[in-house]
Amino acid sequence: MKLLLFSKSKVYFKALFLFVFLISLPSTKVVAQEDGEKLFKSYCASCHSPGANQLVGPGLAGVYDKYEREWLYSWIKNSQALIASGDAEAVAVYEQYNKVLMPNQPVNNEQIDAILDYIKVYNESAPEPASTAVVDAGGEEAEEASDSSVFIILGLIVLFLIIISILRGVSHSMQTVKAEQDGGESPEEVSMPQALVNWINSNKTIVALISIVIVASIAKLGWDSAVDIGIYTGYEPEQPIKFSHKLHAGTNGIDCNYCHSSASYSKSAGIPSPNLCMNCHTYIQEGPEYGKEEIAKIYAALDFDPVTKTYGPNQKPIKWVKVHNLPDHVYFNHSQHVTVGKIACQKCHGPVEEYTVGKQHASLTMGWCINCHRETKVQMQDNGYYDEIHKRLPEDLKAQYLEDGTITVSELGGIECAKCHY
Amino acid sequence: MSNNKKYWKGVEELKETPSFQESKNKEFSELLPTEEFLGDSNLLENSQTTRRDFLKYLGFGVTAASLAACETPVNKVIPYVVKTDKTNPGVANYFATTYTDGNDYCDILVKTREGRPIKIEGNKLSPLTKGAVNARVNSSVLSLYDSNRFKSPMIDGAEVSWSSFDSSVKKELTAILSKGGKVRLLTNSITSPSTLRLISEFVEANPEADINHVSYDAVSYSGMLEANLESFGKAALPSYNIAKAKSIVSIGADFMSSFPSSIELTNQYAQGRKPENGWMSKHFQFESSLSLTGSNADVRVPIKLSQHGSVVANLYNYIAAKLGASKISAPETSVSEKIAAAGDHLIANKGASIVLSGSNNKAVQVLVNGINDMLGNYGSTLDIVNHSNERKGVDSEVVALVKEMKSGSIDALMMMGVNPTLTMPSSVGFNEALAKVKMTMSFAARPNETTANTKYIAATPNYLESWGDTNPKVGYYGLVQPSINPLFDTKQFEDCMLSWMGKNESFYDYVRGTWEAATYPTQTESLIFEDFWNSKLHDGFYMMESAASAPIAFAGNTSAAASAIAKITPTSGEFELEFYEKVGIGNGNQSSNPWLQELPDPISKITWDNYVAMNPADAREKEFATNYGEQENAHTVNLTVNGVTFENIPVVAQPGQAKGTLGVALGYGQAIGKSNEIIGFNAYPAMGMANGTISKFSVEVSMEATGNRDHQIATTQTHQTVMGRTSVVRETDLSTFSTGDINKFNPPHMIATHDGPKSVNEVDLWAEHPVKDVGHHWGMSIDLNSCIGCGSCVTSCNSENNVPVVGKDEVRRSREMHWMRIDRYFSSNAQDVEERNYTEMESPEENPQVVHQPMMCQHCNHAPCETVCPVAATTHSNEGLNQMTYNRCIGTRYCANNCPYKVRRFNWFSYQNLDMFADLNPSQDDLGRMVLNPDVTVRARGVMEKCSLCVQRIQTGKLDAKKEGRMVIDGEIETACSSACPTNAITFGDLNDTNSLVRKASESNRSYRVIEEVGTQPNIYYQVKVRNT
Repeated sequence: MKLLLFSKSKVYFKALFLFVFLISLPSTKVVAQEDGEKLFKSYCASCHSPGANQLVGPGLAGVYDKYEREWLYSWIKNSQALIASGDAEAVAVYEQYNKVLMPNQPVNNEQIDAILDYIKVYNESAPEPASTAVVDAGGEEAEEASDSSVFIILGLIVLFLIIISILRGVSHSMQTVKAEQDGGESPEEVSMPQALVNWINSNKTIVALISIVIVASIAKLGWDSAVDIGIYTGYEPEQPIKFSHKLHAGTNGIDCNYCHSSASYSKSAGIPSPNLCMNCHTYIQEGPEYGKEEIAKIYAALDFDPVTKTYGPNQKPIKWVKVHNLPDHVYFNHSQHVTVGKIACQKCHGPVEEYTVGKQHASLTMGWCINCHRETKVQMQDNGYYDEIHKRLPEDLKAQYLEDGTITVSELGGIECAKCHY
Repeated sequence: MSNNKKYWKGVEELKETPSFQESKNKEFSELLPTEEFLGDSNLLENSQTTRRDFLKYLGFGVTAASLAACETPVNKVIPYVVKTDKTNPGVANYFATTYTDGNDYCDILVKTREGRPIKIEGNKLSPLTKGAVNARVNSSVLSLYDSNRFKSPMIDGAEVSWSSFDSSVKKELTAILSKGGKVRLLTNSITSPSTLRLISEFVEANPEADINHVSYDAVSYSGMLEANLESFGKAALPSYNIAKAKSIVSIGADFMSSFPSSIELTNQYAQGRKPENGWMSKHFQFESSLSLTGSNADVRVPIKLSQHGSVVANLYNYIAAKLGASKISAPETSVSEKIAAAGDHLIANKGASIVLSGSNNKAVQVLVNGINDMLGNYGSTLDIVNHSNERKGVDSEVVALVKEMKSGSIDALMMMGVNPTLTMPSSVGFNEALAKVKMTMSFAARPNETTANTKYIAATPNYLESWGDTNPKVGYYGLVQPSINPLFDTKQFEDCMLSWMGKNESFYDYVRGTWEAATYPTQTESLIFEDFWNSKLHDGFYMMESAASAPIAFAGNTSAAASAIAKITPTSGEFELEFYEKVGIGNGNQSSNPWLQELPDPISKITWDNYVAMNPADAREKEFATNYGEQENAHTVNLTVNGVTFENIPVVAQPGQAKGTLGVALGYGQAIGKSNEIIGFNAYPAMGMANGTISKFSVEVSMEATGNRDHQIATTQTHQTVMGRTSVVRETDLSTFSTGDINKFNPPHMIATHDGPKSVNEVDLWAEHPVKDVGHHWGMSIDLNSCIGCGSCVTSCNSENNVPVVGKDEVRRSREMHWMRIDRYFSSNAQDVEERNYTEMESPEENPQVVHQPMMCQHCNHAPCETVCPVAATTHSNEGLNQMTYNRCIGTRYCANNCPYKVRRFNWFSYQNLDMFADLNPSQDDLGRMVLNPDVTVRARGVMEKCSLCVQRIQTGKLDAKKEGRMVIDGEIETACSSACPTNAITFGDLNDTNSLVRKASESNRSYRVIEEVGTQPNIYYQVKVRNT
């Protein structure tokens, strides 16, 4: 009861703390900044960096101080009119950036303010990959926990041994004292191993039981690790480029099929070729975490010069490390699962949008495949193929298959050998 | 009734020899030498390995293996740097192109995966070959990955760069051309309009020099070209339409395999062999060696080679007499009865008949033209106006060239697509002449006999890496496009010529130029050239609207021909010898292709060899062995033909070989594999000249037995016997079939039950397998009437399913791995069988009837193999497939023992990495491995394998349908064999689809299943063979 109360009070305390924390935040500013970021990404990011570096247009760091707010409003909304009106500053900017016109942006003054606020915050606070840090910290914590538990056990063992030797010492001196008091001969001091042997000899049943337990545990451990041979769940190899799915699929919400387009029509999901990366990275030349370093590796593969935006002849492929390895005697087809089965990528690959490094989520064992085939309902709606297959079925079989209301993959032969092995 | 015939696969089976009796009860013919080994106490005592050592090694081995298994494999995945739009990993692309090597012409599709060609398919759009392919075309994809290919050009045997090669050639060539020297081009028959334009431009650009282009065919049809020149004023072969022919008479023309346009002809032939159409062609074949064509004839007449002329002359006279034309003088003939029968049938089908001859004698061909003219076949089954361009070699021009070379007057000789050192008759003396030519150059893809004697070797790409075009027939154009970038530093003939002529364009541009100027203006479909070009590149061919042109009157001199024929003398000796082309090796231009070497000859079923074929009666008289096997070798002889002696060559008794004749296959004697092993012997040099043409037979033959029986023969002939069951092959004749009484030609198997007799399919010990009406039920129908036994399906299966090559020695031990085989049954006279008249039964081996039966896994619904597998590695799918799961198989071979069809093959070795197979197995080197189909597992040692009914294609077809949300369309999914069949004998489809072709075929009155009476309920149906006798 006490325990329960305690834990409940802990929850109350947490909620209270969170509440206080939230109201103490300057909430309006948070909203503005979020809006500004969103607006910036949809209107400005394809040509401008919020930092100092030049993309198509100049980097926008400091722009909020450099120009009058009113001037910025009219420039952003209609720069061509401003240039045409002969505004000196406008003409100077136009001349400076090779007479490339900036398209008119459909934004109002409040939105421009929000964007400028965002740029200001972006430049004042160092780029802070807050969310990534949380995940990383979580990972480290877990690792630390497992490491520390080993130390705790070792510590406990050492402590136990020290206590035993102290107790032995105490017991021995007490016996000596008792013997002296009784006037008998003081007992001979036996060494620790000898004492152990003596103890073993006198407690054979307990020793036998302990040995059985130890042998059994070792066998269990051995068995478990043998069963895991060839299973690489959690396999997370270091890749040549520190590509983060979390950033691309998670934060930026890019659809899996944008890069892995062949998953919908081919056997393999495919690794995007660097020329696909360039659809975005021609302009996005700097990442939030590793800056230019990792993106430069794409440029190196394509022999791309980010300044002149030209491709050279010395192209060399990127050698990624394959994460999901199926044995050669298994045939797996992505399009069957993605296009026909309408299975979400995450079902097998896990929450990829949260991974910073590509990781094997599922065990990829045959049992894992078969289980899914037994449980998964066939997506029969609006598919002429299954309509025809269903039409052919005699009534009695239809009734038998639909007894539980569904037709599973295995009922259509999805667990037969030659569906995957040929 | 025809079903009473006795079928036998070889002389061994017919004669029931003791060794055959012993071996027929065995599944595998190998003899395990355990007794020998364990009984050898000497060997055991002297052994260095003690029991303790053995245990040590065992322990180490187990530990090492388990440690190795624990290591995490790190695989790399490398995307394209810049991916093209249409190349997607895991998705096959198809490119239309043309196979043309001066011997075969075929419109094909090349299947590529991840940018590498892995399979050849027929182009079903083509109006010429209609999707047909043959074994040689199917296998040509492997020649692309031959690691013996030239990797760069060579001068005097040293590899050089193209720039230095070009500069040396240019220097030497310019010197020759500017001083007006003699330059000769010796090529195979080129039909390419662009190449011919290029050659003529080369000639025009050097008016001061003496340049001549000579065409040379290794197996020449020069006599036919000359005959047509005389008869119709055109030195060309006619184009054929034998689909219309109700009567076909062939005198030594093997038009299903070696004859020009054989792929096209095979397809046409099968169209006239469907008894359901209400008519069926009747095919007479007069020949010496039993050819593929002869084995399919309704009436086959074995004659001596020297009689071919007299048969043609007598046939001419017979028809002339009946039609009231003037007769010619003709020699006596011993087969006048058969000639009369053929003549009557021809006359009865006047205008819808055809006479063909394979002879290279002009006189014979003139008379054949005369017969076809009398029968009014020109314009219906033959067309000399829209003639074929497939053969252009005129022997007299070649001989004249060699004469010029001998005189030392030729300055430069460039050879392309030919290997004259190998293929010229020794009497022509090409090799001595070649040494006198100042500048010699070969354009070749791999080393051959001629490149060994030439100074310059221009390394050429494979046809799958080249651009080009073709014009096989008047008004018909094909395009050749590459499906892969050149693997090596190669340059095609045309590109070399363009750069030496100082033209700054590629041959691709040049071909486009030709098409823009010559073919584009003849069409109205496309408004811009780019559109036309792209659509034709997609289709692979372009056919002009042919304008009706006036027929050409026959103007042949028949009486001169008759007197020339009278001069053909039979041999004074014992034997005459025929030079023939085997179905797999052809003229030998692909003899380094292991798939073709391992393809059993459709008639003799012998692999990896050529030999002297002899009638079994002659062989017995000479006391030669007539049965061959693992323990039984062939006798060898020393054979002298036209003064050329072959020593220690094997003699094989071949039923059907005309008595007093011998047959020797051309195209052998060439090197294959990494260690350049020579397969067989080269028979070309022994060919002689007659009347200015290279003769395909010789009467100057002497044979001397060596007395040794030491030549190993790798034959699949008597493997997998049918154990005397007569329900394997069913055949009937047209008149019986026409009665429509199924009990007469295809009686159902009945079984006695207490309810009276019932069909075997109604009586069952097993619960019915739930495949009927549930989902798909894949099945196949094979029409024995259309199947000609050509082996196209076998090679197509090899290439689709990664079937390993095992080599001569393993084939000899019956360990060939082919999933599909074609069983060839000879059959004897029904009456003799009934009367147990064994002495008389010997006579059919003089001229047996032949049945070809493709045999592979029958996918039984009640499969005997499935019940005996201890690990359930072979199971049944609910789509009717008998599935084989390699990763589960432990290799007990129980399934193979229990299979009534003997179609399961066991992997005795790891063919992919065992040194023993390094020389012949293409998948042993990195290059050869590129031909493997990535969708099919490469099987490991110790597992059983068999036909999967191309389950990978079924799965792909189903997936395509599901993705598009529609049912699988009948004919959309084809197995490798059904798609490769040039006669459409194999139909694959869904038996649950009531409108499918295969369902209809399975319900036809000719439909039966092999050994149906044992109740296996196979999903493969066969159609009764109907002979038009």
